[in-house]
Amino acid sequence: MARRYREIGKAGWGYTLITSIVGLIYFSPVLWIILTAFKTRTDALAVPPKLFFTPTLENFTSVFYRSSITTGTSQSTDMALYFFNSIFIAGTSVGLALIVGTLAAYAFSRYPLRGNDTYLFIILTTRMMPPIVVIIPIFLMFRLSGLAGSYWGIILLYTAFNIPFSVWLVKSFFDELNPEIEDAARMDGASESRVFFKFCIPQILAGLSATFVFGLILTWNEFLFALLLTGVETRTVPVAMARTLGGEVGVDYGLLAAIVTLFLLPIFFVTFLLQNQLLRGVTFGTVKK
Amino acid sequence: MSELQVKNLRREFGNVVALEDMSFDVADGEFFCLLGPSSSGKTTTLRAISGLEELKGGEVWFDGQDRTNAPVQNRGMSMIFQTFALYPHMTVEANLGHPLRRDGISDAEIRKRVGEVAELLRVSHTLKRKPTTLSGGEQQRVAIGRAIVRRPKLLLLDEPLTNLDAKLRHEMRAEFKRLHRELGMTMLYATPDQLEALTMGERVGVMENGKVVAIGTPRDLYSMPDNLYVARMVGSPPINVLSCGDRNNEQVTLPFLKKPIQIAGLPSGDDLAIGLRPHDLSLADATGTGERFAAKIHLTEPLGDVTIFDVAAQDVAMKMVLREEVAAQYSVGDEIEVSFDPADLHFFHRESGQRMNKAVG
Repeated sequence: MARRYREIGKAGWGYTLITSIVGLIYFSPVLWIILTAFKTRTDALAVPPKLFFTPTLENFTSVFYRSSITTGTSQSTDMALYFFNSIFIAGTSVGLALIVGTLAAYAFSRYPLRGNDTYLFIILTTRMMPPIVVIIPIFLMFRLSGLAGSYWGIILLYTAFNIPFSVWLVKSFFDELNPEIEDAARMDGASESRVFFKFCIPQILAGLSATFVFGLILTWNEFLFALLLTGVETRTVPVAMARTLGGEVGVDYGLLAAIVTLFLLPIFFVTFLLQNQLLRGVTFGTVKK
Repeated sequence: MSELQVKNLRREFGNVVALEDMSFDVADGEFFCLLGPSSSGKTTTLRAISGLEELKGGEVWFDGQDRTNAPVQNRGMSMIFQTFALYPHMTVEANLGHPLRRDGISDAEIRKRVGEVAELLRVSHTLKRKPTTLSGGEQQRVAIGRAIVRRPKLLLLDEPLTNLDAKLRHEMRAEFKRLHRELGMTMLYATPDQLEALTMGERVGVMENGKVVAIGTPRDLYSMPDNLYVARMVGSPPINVLSCGDRNNEQVTLPFLKKPIQIAGLPSGDDLAIGLRPHDLSLADATGTGERFAAKIHLTEPLGDVTIFDVAAQDVAMKMVLREEVAAQYSVGDEIEVSFDPADLHFFHRESGQRMNKAVG
């Protein structure tokens, strides 16, 4: 039987339609959240859910200003602080982990130790168990050392959790590089630090971006450690979000959806900015030049 | 005087000895080729000379100074790598200018010299582009340009043509010879390809298992190989190696010849391996000079101008090269009459491979 082969890049309308439908199904929870954020309380709870409604920004206002039940006056919530905390804590710890991880990855890749693979394996074992296993010892350590509730405590913890992942990923990027390029740079007169900063790093920028975004997403959404180890001043958005669930106002889906929508934005923004780099980073090494 | 002396280099990787007692000299301004199969230590040798490779023993002298422990950056050498190793994140212009950046040369001067080198190598039109957008030949020329822009006294070339297609390789061989003539720098060229070594090298060092086993001009290596290994490495198609039937001092019997041949000055005693170049075999003509024997054609490989015949004479397989117009008259299965001059035979010790007979005509 003769077979017809399709030209690459021209999938036809049928396939495009199917893909769009599947894509829409996957996207529907996010869409539901975003739509709910613009609904009034009655619209949000309507069954079946309303697709067409009069949008309101009320939920977004009440993320930051809410009228108190007792006095009736509008007062500022601490949400702005929590958003700052989330950005500051996730950004700093993922950034730190990337710096430390990149240095370690370069060493592992270029100056292998005796038993190099064993060390790498040991590093990875820290990610093998569910985090909840270590929560009690870590909680006690944080209490004793006074790190509990402080910015540096949670940043330190997230950094530690992100380093293994960074080391492994970034090492694979370094491994992919052509070592003759570094030798050429040395013969051209470049010092070892110049070889690292001016020749190796620029070649793996895409990989570093990808590592940063992956780490950021994981850390951004982290709940368990944030719940137990942050204080009133250092609380992150996921924890704050959970607290709005039970609080004095009952479950306000519109409010929750508004927080989630705002919570999506920074990640969305970073991913969008690094999109091109990210795609190259993800496919790094899978496609030969 | 920028003479290079390599003395007794030794390098090990784990239990594997990569270089063992590696020694040779390269004269000022010479084009010297290192010829050897893959993993015979060519790259390791070049890297050791450049300082990129740490040595277990031995010395590298260059320009009258011991450079064995000198830092890579200060050896006054450049290297062209097998993969070209262009800096992918820099433009061609920045690639070419990079070796000059450290010497405190002004930007204007760098631009001028980059321009000159780009002109010399015909890559001026690519200066603003990134290396990955260049063709293989252009990348190769940029790599050459980056290596010569600083006018090094010694240029190391590590299989620079391996990643190019056949046509470009041919062009680049001529290009390297031209550069050598125009720039007059000492060049040390490593290659697994005997054709490259013979066409470009003024002298060739043949490598085997981390050692130089023979050094000579291409002509010497071809016509008077010191040992069987060299005889096999040099020449294409490779030399025919025949085993000797019986031997009675200077009387040597070949299985396909009717009577023994007399070789004057052949040391008596040990068993022989006999080498006979495919080019030294020809079709027997009426005049009847030299030795002759009957052979059957098993395979023909037409190369355009010449054809290689795989023939067998009494079960002894041999290759011979014939001009195309002669070869066209024969086909597989034909019986032909082959002749050769006994003076063209190379005699080697069967065990050690050392050459046994002296001069060949």
